[in-house]
Amino acid sequence: MTNASQRPADERRFAPDFLLELFSNPLDPGYADAAARRAAYGPKPPWRKRGALVLRAIALAAVGFLLVVAWREAAAAEPDRTSAHAGLVDEVKTAQKRTDELQVQSDRLRQEVRVQQQAALGGSAAELARVREQEAASGLAPVTGSGVVVRLADAPAPIDPTTGKPSSAEVSRVLDVDLQAVVNGLWAADAEAISINGQRLTATSTIRTAGNAVLVDFRPVTSPYEVSAIGPDDLEARFKGSVAAASMRGLVDHYGLSFSTRYESDLNLPAAPGTALRYARPTASPSPSGGVR
Amino acid sequence: MIAFLALIAGVLAGLLLEPTVPVGLQPYLPIAVVAALDAVFGGIRAKLDGVFDDKQFVISFVSNVIVAAFIVYLGDQLGVGGQLSTGVVVVLGVRIFGNVAAIRRHLFRA
Repeated sequence: MTNASQRPADERRFAPDFLLELFSNPLDPGYADAAARRAAYGPKPPWRKRGALVLRAIALAAVGFLLVVAWREAAAAEPDRTSAHAGLVDEVKTAQKRTDELQVQSDRLRQEVRVQQQAALGGSAAELARVREQEAASGLAPVTGSGVVVRLADAPAPIDPTTGKPSSAEVSRVLDVDLQAVVNGLWAADAEAISINGQRLTATSTIRTAGNAVLVDFRPVTSPYEVSAIGPDDLEARFKGSVAAASMRGLVDHYGLSFSTRYESDLNLPAAPGTALRYARPTASPSPSGGVR
Repeated sequence: MIAFLALIAGVLAGLLLEPTVPVGLQPYLPIAVVAALDAVFGGIRAKLDGVFDDKQFVISFVSNVIVAAFIVYLGDQLGVGGQLSTGVVVVLGVRIFGNVAAIRRHLFRA
């Protein structure tokens, strides 16, 4: 490639700009040299010609081989990428299905526990009623009654003025703190049982943001959020007058979130998933006297 | 003629043998292809110029591939693999372009 070395020494001159050389003379100077040699010494003997032909064939076969291998690699790499994504999606779906199955199993077992409880308590109807009452209050049993449904939803995606389609820009979302404020407002307005999108809340429930999702007791809930609460007849009015509702109305004005409440005469709230005590222990063994606990 | 046959034989061999490229060599494959294309277009141009030489073609092919791969390897070791790959592709791309332009002048007189 270096033609400077092949020039006679007395003809030494500054090489032109490298890039200029590259653009103006892309052919390997070796070809010209070889042609000059041929002109000087005559054609090569036949055995060398045959050998050269074989070499050329091998080199071209290698080129073809290389092209195919590279093409196959590139073709194989693409499905790899998409299949990795599909695999992850499958994994998530399987895990979700498993969670649902376990949830059903847990509900069934809880039902069994209730039946056993009933059998163990025997005929003591008063005791049984007390247990039911406490279960309902603590969120361990499904409850029914009249109350209010508070609906919260993310702001709609802004319409892109050039394409006319909803843009993918970040939208204003309902955050965990908003849901927490609404739930606390409902508790403060004397709600007795609350669920978010069918997730019953207990005294140890958590409402947290993880990425774009809100987790209620580590299960994701998505917009629109429906906070159902059972409470006194004036629950809706009392909640509407609360600080939480006022701040939500502020968010509606500023960020375009949607927020509405409606009265519902027949709300059915499910039981909360198991709330096993991990650290605390009951102080007294359950006694029929029903003393101080 | 024999050149085309050899090229087709290479393609068929690649299709039939279904070779797997070791992971360590995969980054060098695209660069090797560009280097091989440079040698091939250089050879075609030389053929049309009437100065084709088998020895020159074979050596330029082998050395192009090896040097290109070596530069990329060196870049990887120095932590500038991506940039050096780009450099190799640009230089070889310019050469391919120039040779193809010469081939075009031969074929179409334009």
